Amino acid sequence: MLINSVIIILREVFEAALIVSVLLVLCQRLQLPRRYFLFSLVLGGVLSTVYARHIAFVSMLFEGVGQEIVNAGMHLVTFICLLFLIFSMGRRSYYKVTVWAIIGCLSAALVREGSEIIIYIHGFVGIEQLFETVVAGSFIGAGVGFSVGVFMYYLMVSLSPRKGVAVSLVALVLISASMITQALQLLIQADIVISQVPLWNTSKWVSEGSVTGQILYALLGYESTPTTIQVGGYFLSLMLSSGLAFKTFKTFEWEMDE
Amino acid sequence: MRILLIICLMLTVNPLFAAPTVNIAIRNHLFYPSTVEIPVDTKVKLLIENQDQTAEEFESYELNREKVIPGHSKGVVFIGPLPAGEYPFFGEFFPKTAQGKVIVK
Repeated sequence: MLINSVIIILREVFEAALIVSVLLVLCQRLQLPRRYFLFSLVLGGVLSTVYARHIAFVSMLFEGVGQEIVNAGMHLVTFICLLFLIFSMGRRSYYKVTVWAIIGCLSAALVREGSEIIIYIHGFVGIEQLFETVVAGSFIGAGVGFSVGVFMYYLMVSLSPRKGVAVSLVALVLISASMITQALQLLIQADIVISQVPLWNTSKWVSEGSVTGQILYALLGYESTPTTIQVGGYFLSLMLSSGLAFKTFKTFEWEMDE
Repeated sequence: MRILLIICLMLTVNPLFAAPTVNIAIRNHLFYPSTVEIPVDTKVKLLIENQDQTAEEFESYELNREKVIPGHSKGVVFIGPLPAGEYPFFGEFFPKTAQGKVIVK
């Protein structure tokens, strides 16, 4: 139970830590006040608690696929916020767009991963023989995931400003494409988007359940058996966001003040 | 705009064809039934009822499905149409006991 709790929480925290560390680096590079970052953390924390508390009700909405629709909505909101962020960062006239895009991405990421952690741990409240083990495992998992986030933050912050922005842009482009493929996956699961035969199967090379598969999932949205719609959505969003990223990098205003 | 609308209609599912429902219960961190047989090339609605206090996550890499089902609640997961074969699934929160498979034939 302990190991299982460590793995489950580590996976969730790792996924959140990736996006949070990239956005924190951007806040630092763009000299945005820390209060926006803290506001996003609080907003994400409150919303994930509310969502976790009403998850059973949400699940049964829309004939039992409410959870998929809400989660797909959160992925799409993150995607749109990422596009706005990629477009607006480094442009003084779009300062407020940048701030709200960061708040949107951060809050949505925290709600997605945080609500699952709350649902998992909350289920053990009142089961004395398991609760302590689960909480201990969760702390270890969260600690490891958090440490990875801190490591990545310092790694990216230590880069030169140009390299730092370039790495952040690449990360945002990959995360945005991953958001689209995950949203499509949820809509297929909810029977809203048509289910197709997988385009390929790479599970023999990299299983989704393996450590490599889990890391690739968090970094690139890796799936061993994607459908044509998912692959198409992935590459379309990759093209769109990388086009914006190139333009942003070329015209980046390096001295940015509030 | 018209082409976009046609593409959207093609990608969304026709609601006239309701998928057959298969009920699965989660009890004491076990799936009942643990083996589900479904016909080939048929879309099926899995109605999963978690009767435990603890939450469970229905997960299958082979089916490409993942869904959290809180304690004492239900969840719906659509699978298929699938080619013949065996598709294992498991409960991610209790993977040692919560194991099952979908047999498509």
